[in-house]
Amino acid sequence: MSSPDIVRNATGDHGLSEKGLKAGSVGLIGAVVIGISCIAPAYTLTAALGPTVSEVGVHLPAIFLVGFIPMLLVALGYRELNNAMPDAGTSFTWATRAFGPWLGWMGGWGLIAATIIVLSNLAAVAVDFFYLMLAQIFSNPSLADLTRNLPLNLATTMVFIAGACWISYRGMETTKSFQYILVAFQLLVLGWFAVAAFTHVANGSAFDATTIQADWFNPFAVESFSQFAAGVSLSIFIFWGWDVTLTMNEETKNPKKTPGRAATVTIIVIVLIYMTVSLATLSFAGIGTTGLGAGNPENQGSIFAVLAGPVMGPFAILMSLAILSSSAASLQSTFVSPARTLLSMGHYRALPKSFGKISPTHKSPGYATIAAAIAAAGFYIITRTLSENALWDTITALGMMICFYYGITALACVWYFRAQAFRGVQNFLFKFLAPLVGGVILLVMFFKTAYDSMDPSYGSGSNIGGLGLVFILGAGVIALGVVLMFFMYRRNPEFFKGQVLSRASEPYNP
Amino acid sequence: MRYVAGYTADPRGSDAVNLAVAMARRQGATLDLVMVMPQNSQYNGVYPHEAGFETILAEQVSQWLDEGLALIPEDIQAQAHIRSGESEAEELIAAAEELGASLLIIGGSNTGIFKRFSIGAVANSLLHASTIPVVLAPAGYSRTEPITRLTCALGTRAGAEGVLQSGIAMAKRRSLPLRLVSLVAVGPGESTATVEDAKKHLLQVAATGDGASADVLDTLDMEIVVGTGRSIEDAVDNLKWKKGEILLIGSSRLAQNNSIFLGSTANRILRALPVPMIVVPRNYVLQAKELFPTTEIPVIDAEEIAEAEK
Repeated sequence: MSSPDIVRNATGDHGLSEKGLKAGSVGLIGAVVIGISCIAPAYTLTAALGPTVSEVGVHLPAIFLVGFIPMLLVALGYRELNNAMPDAGTSFTWATRAFGPWLGWMGGWGLIAATIIVLSNLAAVAVDFFYLMLAQIFSNPSLADLTRNLPLNLATTMVFIAGACWISYRGMETTKSFQYILVAFQLLVLGWFAVAAFTHVANGSAFDATTIQADWFNPFAVESFSQFAAGVSLSIFIFWGWDVTLTMNEETKNPKKTPGRAATVTIIVIVLIYMTVSLATLSFAGIGTTGLGAGNPENQGSIFAVLAGPVMGPFAILMSLAILSSSAASLQSTFVSPARTLLSMGHYRALPKSFGKISPTHKSPGYATIAAAIAAAGFYIITRTLSENALWDTITALGMMICFYYGITALACVWYFRAQAFRGVQNFLFKFLAPLVGGVILLVMFFKTAYDSMDPSYGSGSNIGGLGLVFILGAGVIALGVVLMFFMYRRNPEFFKGQVLSRASEPYNP
Repeated sequence: MRYVAGYTADPRGSDAVNLAVAMARRQGATLDLVMVMPQNSQYNGVYPHEAGFETILAEQVSQWLDEGLALIPEDIQAQAHIRSGESEAEELIAAAEELGASLLIIGGSNTGIFKRFSIGAVANSLLHASTIPVVLAPAGYSRTEPITRLTCALGTRAGAEGVLQSGIAMAKRRSLPLRLVSLVAVGPGESTATVEDAKKHLLQVAATGDGASADVLDTLDMEIVVGTGRSIEDAVDNLKWKKGEILLIGSSRLAQNNSIFLGSTANRILRALPVPMIVVPRNYVLQAKELFPTTEIPVIDAEEIAEAEK
């Protein structure tokens, strides 16, 4: 008989090591492409431009620029947390470490809720442009109206969500070359739209030619603080995803320089494209509330669905294709995030254990992925049934939710690094001041928007019994989180007693 | 000699391990159990960057691998390896190449509802790219006693000699009984080959193949059979299969040199096959140690194991 023992690798860990990570494969351009793909500018613009115009009118460019400031401040804190606890997950574990299980749980819930809401919105936008593209292909405008048919719209959206969920469950992913093409195509089409719009303005064939004024860039000209807060929380959404470049370290060819440079290049490209497209839209369509006007509530759910045809003529189909492809790709990749956070929470017993299950065949968070799909589908069905303007309302609720979890995460950074805050200029700026100011701004925006959205005429004007739908959605999701949290506490108290993930802070250790 | 078994923590993974054990026991090989951890494409655009998942997954995978090792009986030497990569198939091939393995054993898909073999995605990629012979375990393969006979399926086209050579080498190593088979469909609309042609071809190939000189053929426990039926599937069904038998088949002429490409006939055989199958890359060059007949490690036969287990 041969030797009876089972030979193990010397290390006893089956030889898993750092070489597992694909070290140093992403260069500057690659990182910029990843950054832009996470932002998905064609999708964010069509979803957020209308609602933002309805709040701040011609001051759209100013608000887009201002919205970047809290985003930048929070992202700096994010980067510090990511460097200090790279293996610890995101908002959920960071906030748990800093503030303990209760606030940590809500931080995780906020992140999950935001990604679930954006999933339902992405699917809905994809469906709108799917029918619009069919109409353009067959030159039959009535096909585009199919998306207004409630049962058909719900059914198609469910198919899109189920499809993306299946792809995610199987662990299939967008490849490098496909992502390059998607990103280049989006930028190209958005640029084309802007050029075509300005050409119409120059030729006098624009719908409501409006001259660009310096005042459009002045955020202080926005009439009220309520509008300002609403505008900022919407424009947080359009930059959401940008910070991904800052948290890429070991994947980049030059971890010291690439992330920072990539973040800078990404933001320059994004701001340029946002400014060009929003100026083009405003100059072409004005902010009138009739016809093609960007202030027309009819147009605000998805502005390019209305404007691409008049602006780009027969080439409008390219816009449909760009938005459909970018929202479908984002739909698939966005599934990964709530699924993984749910999995982390299941793993640390903050949610039932089954959320922590990994599919043995596909090695993906199977249970959590399906749970995320059901939640996104459910959220969309509820919103779409209650509101004619579901896209608009979900985006506004999403802006609120991002402010909520970003705010918590930023303050978690301040608290986690409190021992280092006043040790040196760099620590003071990046671990204390930037996240503190950013976090406070976002939480102020969150509470202000939540308060204002109780008004039945807020946003698209959908309301139930005189209470604004956006408030019901936003507050409802958070309240649901609180209820589930107490339920979990009753069922599984170890996590909430700090026995699984303990509180910690980083000491000053020069 | 080493065999690599691709493990997953599902019934398919156990099929592969069982078959690997059965083959290793007969041929005197050691096993390398390999699990592949999926590596996320950086370009997938996942946001936010969730690093915690990787840690949890790594923990889970090594726990699974321990479970896989526990399936291997003590008389077989085994090692476990975790690799990480975007494509499971590519990583398995790379692992087999790096370890110098002679066979790559995996489970066929168990999700199929039609026949015993409906190939999973990973198996399918392996069957179209592997540079090392791939062994497919059918769903529910539970036999861990040594394999009993090697059947070598020979086509009538060029390239049959190479397959025969591999078959003879495998059989010679530990005097494994060898059966040569040609499958002929005689139904309407099927190929025009006749049973006589096939038999003649088989004998011819057996007689002229390199490394298959008369004295070698004599020392082998060899049987030559023609399987017939209305279709290829039928012909496979009509053949008698021993318990613990395994089929050896070659790659299509579409395959690049030294790699596998499962042809259409092989695909049809696969669908009807009740036993495991080895697919050999086109013009596969056997390694010296596979050609080297060994009695160093004794063949463990079924009775001996049964006794040992008592």
